[in-house]
Amino acid sequence: MDALNNLMYGFGIALSPMNIVYVFCGVFAGTIIGMLPGLGPISAIALMIPITFSMDPSSGLILMAGVYYGAVFGGSTSSILLNAPGISGTVATSFDGYPMARKGLAGKALAIAAYSSFIGGTLSVIGLMLVAPLLSKVAISFGPAEYFALMVLGLTAVVSLSDKSLIKGLISGVVGIMVSLVGIDHQTSTERFTFGSAHLLDGIDFLVVALGIFALAEVFYMLLRGGGGKEQPRSAIGSLKLSRSETRQILPVAGRSSILGFFTGVLPGAGATIGSFLGYSMEKRLAKDGDTFGQGNIKGVAAPESANNAACTGSFVPLLTLGVPGSGTTAVLLGALLVMGITPGPAMLEDRPDVFWGVIASMYLGNIFLLVLNLPLIPLIAKILELPRALLLSLILIFCMIGVYGLAFSIYDLLLLLAFGLLGLGMRLFGFPAAPMILALILGGIMEQSMRRALQISGGDWMVFIEQPISLTLLIIAVLSVAGPLVRKAVKGAQARQAG
Amino acid sequence: MSRLNVNQILALILAVFSVIFLIGAYQIPAFALPRPVDSDMFPKVLGYSLLILSGMLFLEKPQERDIPDADAQAESARLPLLLRPWSRVIITAIAIAAYALLLEPLGFVLASTLLSVGLTIYYGYRRHAINLAVSLGVVLALYLTMTKFMNVHLPPGVLPI
Repeated sequence: MDALNNLMYGFGIALSPMNIVYVFCGVFAGTIIGMLPGLGPISAIALMIPITFSMDPSSGLILMAGVYYGAVFGGSTSSILLNAPGISGTVATSFDGYPMARKGLAGKALAIAAYSSFIGGTLSVIGLMLVAPLLSKVAISFGPAEYFALMVLGLTAVVSLSDKSLIKGLISGVVGIMVSLVGIDHQTSTERFTFGSAHLLDGIDFLVVALGIFALAEVFYMLLRGGGGKEQPRSAIGSLKLSRSETRQILPVAGRSSILGFFTGVLPGAGATIGSFLGYSMEKRLAKDGDTFGQGNIKGVAAPESANNAACTGSFVPLLTLGVPGSGTTAVLLGALLVMGITPGPAMLEDRPDVFWGVIASMYLGNIFLLVLNLPLIPLIAKILELPRALLLSLILIFCMIGVYGLAFSIYDLLLLLAFGLLGLGMRLFGFPAAPMILALILGGIMEQSMRRALQISGGDWMVFIEQPISLTLLIIAVLSVAGPLVRKAVKGAQARQAG
Repeated sequence: MSRLNVNQILALILAVFSVIFLIGAYQIPAFALPRPVDSDMFPKVLGYSLLILSGMLFLEKPQERDIPDADAQAESARLPLLLRPWSRVIITAIAIAAYALLLEPLGFVLASTLLSVGLTIYYGYRRHAINLAVSLGVVLALYLTMTKFMNVHLPPGVLPI
């Protein structure tokens, strides 16, 4: 009953005329940005942050949550139409979505994607509404030692689940924490790594790094891969209507994948990408016509689409209740919230119920907008894909620059953006994942402060992290998440040598 | 002695970086009052961690995707120097640096339009009227939204806007 009352309170906030406009703008802008190959939700949210500077925090988060699931939906549009997923979370959608488009059923595939996203989004918001307050109650008893352990786990989970080299993921994370240390240490007011520069006293803003290593690096990467003028052939969209039997086929698929996706999203490190692949493979195994997956089976579009949207909502659980993001995207969201003066965590439910419940209610609205407004607009929005790539790249650069300059009106920040853009390009070329770096950058400062506070309380006794059962458990899982893949790799190597 | 692979070169660069970082960490002054953990402890742990990880990277075999594609390199070598992929990245980077320096004297609208139109032409788009109309339209819309509605005051520069 409490949850229902709180949800009504949330709707009171989300249904204010301005917030409805923000939800719509967020979903719409997210769809457009997510549709552009290469630019995913992280870039979309980072590009939108400057717009939220002057907003009320609940409106800002409502806008950005809309951008998030809009971007995921937009990613599926380019997966289906171009076989060029805008984000990794929609790669699985292209397995059956693109073959459908090749058969002239692009409209049907887009409609299935939209309905499945709606089901995934709506079911998972119910999950978020029920799980988040419970987790908050547990998390309220967390002390600095538990928080430190939780952040270590969040980081190692993201590193261990990235598809690239584990060592490179760890390096990326360590460098991210190093960047977070630049500036004045808030506990002792000591300057660290500022090299005497006044610009660095406040540290390096996460937005400069996020836009640099994601959006700007993506532009550089596209230039390097010859993404100048060549446009890809696009299929005709066709009818968006679904028959009754098709609707009956996708409903149970979307329901199952939504639940799976939600719980995958809640786990740190596992987000929309893993959720969508798990949903796809589960349905492929369950379906009687599983052998037609990959050739344009409608269930092969419904499963990953409902799972990835549900996972996005699921990833809000650790962010809102523990204040610890479980993915690169929610890390950028956390950074944006901190800029707005909101610290997510267990106390947020008590301190800022307007933000918490307003966002949950706005997610219901966002899902409806995604379905009712975005779906009919898709043929129109897809025209953006026809915009010359050369013009698009130049405009993305301007968006990056205005976002960074608007932070502190500093030319220095623009030059730092360029430096991080080149660093991001290097990371991309040499297989270093960028998500651990941004997560570490945002968590680094809080992580250090939690660790020092815990040691302050224990009088410098390091056993504090092991004596507390919760922090011990979290640290063991963190160690296993990193050691597991390393051991597996070593065993495989040994087996290969023996076989050789 | 055999040639170093990509991971080994990267590992050496990272090792040098971690040593420089550690030198910086050892120069962080101690706080006047004794504390269980001072400002220098975390940076030192990170510096040594990166050094160890560099060592592990040195021993890791590079994956296929870590090695640059030889065919693509040969193909790009046939293009004029200024249009080669790496030239595009370098010229874009120089353009961004120039934009940063000219933003305040020229103003947001003029500098951004010049950057967008110029780079679009450089990337190979030849419909100049559309280029100018879209670039100027987007830049003006951004400028007016930021300054008039969101109180983010971008530099007006030489234009009387």
